[in-house]
Amino acid sequence: MAKETLTEVITVANSGEADVKKSRSALPWIADNGIFIFTALLLLFAAVFVDGFASLANITDVFHRAAPIGIVAAGMTFVVISGNYLDLSVVAQVATSAVIMLAVSNLYGVPIAMLAALGAAMMYALVNGIAVGYFKANAVIVTLSTTYIGVGVLRFFSGGSIFFGPEDGPIRAFGASKLGPIPYSAIVLIIVTILLAFVLNRTNFGFVVRSFGSNESATRLGGVNTGLVIIGAFFVTALAAMVAGWVLAAFSNTAVSSMSTGYDFQALAAIIVGGTSVFGGKGSVFRTLLGVIFVSVLTNVLVISNISFGYQQVALGVLIVVAVTVDALSRKVGKR
Amino acid sequence: MRKSRIGLASASLIAVAGLTLAGCAAADETATDAADTTEEAAVTGADTYEVYALLPQGNDQAYGTTYLPPMLAKAAELGINLTITNSEYDGDKQASECEVAVAAQPDGIILWPAIADTIRPCLEAAQAAGIPVWITNADVNPEDTELTYGYSGTDSYGQGAASAEIMCEIVDGAEIGIIQINGLTGNSVATLRGNGFKETIASNCPNVTILAEQPGDWVPDKSQIAASEMLTSVGIENVQGMYAADDSMIKGGIDALKARGLDPADFFITSIGGTFLGNPLVVSGELDGTIFQSSSWDGENAVIGMYSVLSGEVTADDERVALYMPNPKVTAANASDAEVAPEW
Amino acid sequence: MSQTQTIQIGQRETTFFGKLRLKIARRTEGRAVILLAVVLIVVSLTEPLVFTAYQVSLGRIALIGLVALGLTAVILMGELDLSVASTLAVSGVVMALIPDVRLGVVVALGVGLLIGLINGFFVAVVGINSFIATLGMLFALRGLAFILSDEAPVRIVDTDAGIAFGLALIGPLTPRVLIFILAFVVLQIFVSRVKAGREFFAVGGNRQAAYDAGIPVKRRIFTGFMISGFVASLAGVINTLERTAADPRAGLTVLLASFAAAIIGGNYLKGGRGSIVGTLIGATALGVLQVAFTLSGVQVPVQEIFIGLILLLAVTTDPANLRAVLGSIRSVLQGRLKFQS
Repeated sequence: MAKETLTEVITVANSGEADVKKSRSALPWIADNGIFIFTALLLLFAAVFVDGFASLANITDVFHRAAPIGIVAAGMTFVVISGNYLDLSVVAQVATSAVIMLAVSNLYGVPIAMLAALGAAMMYALVNGIAVGYFKANAVIVTLSTTYIGVGVLRFFSGGSIFFGPEDGPIRAFGASKLGPIPYSAIVLIIVTILLAFVLNRTNFGFVVRSFGSNESATRLGGVNTGLVIIGAFFVTALAAMVAGWVLAAFSNTAVSSMSTGYDFQALAAIIVGGTSVFGGKGSVFRTLLGVIFVSVLTNVLVISNISFGYQQVALGVLIVVAVTVDALSRKVGKR
Repeated sequence: MRKSRIGLASASLIAVAGLTLAGCAAADETATDAADTTEEAAVTGADTYEVYALLPQGNDQAYGTTYLPPMLAKAAELGINLTITNSEYDGDKQASECEVAVAAQPDGIILWPAIADTIRPCLEAAQAAGIPVWITNADVNPEDTELTYGYSGTDSYGQGAASAEIMCEIVDGAEIGIIQINGLTGNSVATLRGNGFKETIASNCPNVTILAEQPGDWVPDKSQIAASEMLTSVGIENVQGMYAADDSMIKGGIDALKARGLDPADFFITSIGGTFLGNPLVVSGELDGTIFQSSSWDGENAVIGMYSVLSGEVTADDERVALYMPNPKVTAANASDAEVAPEW
Repeated sequence: MSQTQTIQIGQRETTFFGKLRLKIARRTEGRAVILLAVVLIVVSLTEPLVFTAYQVSLGRIALIGLVALGLTAVILMGELDLSVASTLAVSGVVMALIPDVRLGVVVALGVGLLIGLINGFFVAVVGINSFIATLGMLFALRGLAFILSDEAPVRIVDTDAGIAFGLALIGPLTPRVLIFILAFVVLQIFVSRVKAGREFFAVGGNRQAAYDAGIPVKRRIFTGFMISGFVASLAGVINTLERTAADPRAGLTVLLASFAAAIIGGNYLKGGRGSIVGTLIGATALGVLQVAFTLSGVQVPVQEIFIGLILLLAVTTDPANLRAVLGSIRSVLQGRLKFQS
């Protein structure tokens, strides 16, 4: 019952924009489909012109790069689509999950470690979700503060120690496992992406998250408990970050509290480049995956070509600005 | 509206000013109290020294976590009361902490510079306030050494050089190419070790060519990806060896080789650290050599050095003392010896 | 004779105390004042050295507060400027690379203005969300700082001038503190008395209404970002002089503290409400707290937990937030009852 009413309400609310979509400008089309084209172009360019890119070893490296960020970004898409900018605390969450996995499993085994990591993820989701969903506080600052608290707690208990598992342990085995030529990290990434895409597009919960971003007041008028929806969005992100932490830990069979620095912005960059609008409402998990692939391939190409760290940062920054400019301009053109 | 805003602004400024003035007034009293108590202490012969330790790492890094307990233990043994700060390698933060430390007028300051290039104002302020400074772990620039009483710690450049010496030895004149994994970009230890390694290779065994270098940020997973991508970049057939500034990073590099089905034992691999991660690799033959670094020596000697100044053993007129941590090479021959047993 | 009817909204206060109560209720700095009071009381009991060594405390407050003041200008308009950290770093590097100190300072400040101009362009003209635009600039500028400095700190040529800059100038106040006080006064006057400055509130409060009222919104946005960029480069210049070297990695810790100071000071992130004075109070509270932490030797993780908690509390206890919570609780209860009937 509620879903149909909600759709109606939102269509009515957004009807102003819908009429103008028949603009002749190429810009909205680029904004919507550009990522497919640019990724394809980049892959083509790299395969042809960059030595060694197309080798199995290197593609594996790209996946190893892409997997943790991709899993985090796929989860964070929920938060972004709901109109809440981003979740900065993924940095703390991934590191916490990785450290818990290794530290706890060395003492109590993997299943208990998983439960502990799940508990930590729920804590983050609750604090973030309540502050943003019920207190209506700004998500950027809230997640910034939870990052501080989270990193502080993690460091307090783990110090800077590098935790490592036994060489013959289950974590190492998982990290080295492959399905034919495809490494474990790629498999987890694909499974998570499909799962989250399903949740976002085919479930009531996903629908409400999308409509929340599209038109917040309409959603609320439709009788939805928005606070719970926001907590849900942060919970998805927290679960994704937890899995990403496990993937990262399995990669090197080690975990240290500083291992996930930069994940928040990299994930956001991937989401933006993928075409999910930061204004909320528009986007999908598959687009995010494309964005992740694009960013990972780009970074990989830069490193293989021996470009220094400074230029890599500039490239990332320019990329974000260009992607968002295209998005913003296309909206403007669409409105006229 | 306007008036009330100005009113509030002036009210808060007055409040802050008033409190600081009150603080000043109180300070005079407490200063005299403090003077009394130290006089008393001197008379009774109980020497507790107040020392500030300005460090750029602590419980947030593996080395720091094992550097602190021996330091604190030694301090307690020698009757030194330590106040410890951690600037997390932020030069501005450390400079600010230095200002606070100087204002606290301790008996001495133990300093581990986060960024050697920006530390001079701190040293000058300490000297102007009459507070002796002892440097630990990473030395200051040569022109600033005159402002300090002494140094104890690693010789990061020397560590890089020693690792290069192992490399030269095991390569034994062959013409080979290697890849280099550096520490966090901009970090002084990373820069010094990197330079030490490169320059020693260039002078001692120019038959070794460094084909590529990338940062591994002191962690295994980033190092693994960096190493793998470097192998792709220069071509795996051109690489016969690998060096990393740290055992954690070389572990990542070795895993990169294994992931491609290569046997690390076929390569010339050296690093620095002698840690829990590195030592087993030397024993198993995957790592050909590393340099042992003792975090406990480092922490203890920082305090021992400071104490020698406080107790008057080392005075301002003496030449600057330099206690260098030995850089024992750890190879398969001595990896199981107790003296190079890993500490961190 | 016609009778004019007036509609009375709310009770009219005639007594002095009544008027005072209304004035205070409208102010946004309440929580900052509370925090400052709590911090001062606790610190005076545990680490009185913070007050006796007040030059250091003032210096720390000036360090955080300078960038926070510039940020406030942008936040009042409902925008964010994340690039200030990198602006600080790039300006410092640029200044250090130029041998002549005075020319270096001028060029560095010009760089700050230019960055503000670019930010303003992206936000006002292109229409990108300021969070994303300044985020991209944060990355790009940091990369630029690394490239210019060759990934290592850059020493200034005239180190004596730098060290002299760090010494007290008037009484116990160092140039850093004096510049901070000057910036505060200038910005406070700008925001409260100058028409263009007062319009910042309108631009933040209701952008559409501001347009309709004829306010040159785009120009105000440009001005706001240029203020923020200029102040950030000023902070970069001060830092580089005092440290006698420019660190391309500088700025990140200041970014966090500045935002915290502005938010604790009651500046509403959606714009339209807040004050420069509030930022000053917030910066004071944080600065004193940080110095006290350093003196007490409290472990860094514990410090971070503290600051995180304070920030979380500050951002969730804005009167608007509390109203929202009450509202959602009420609507949930009412909603449930309605649907059941």
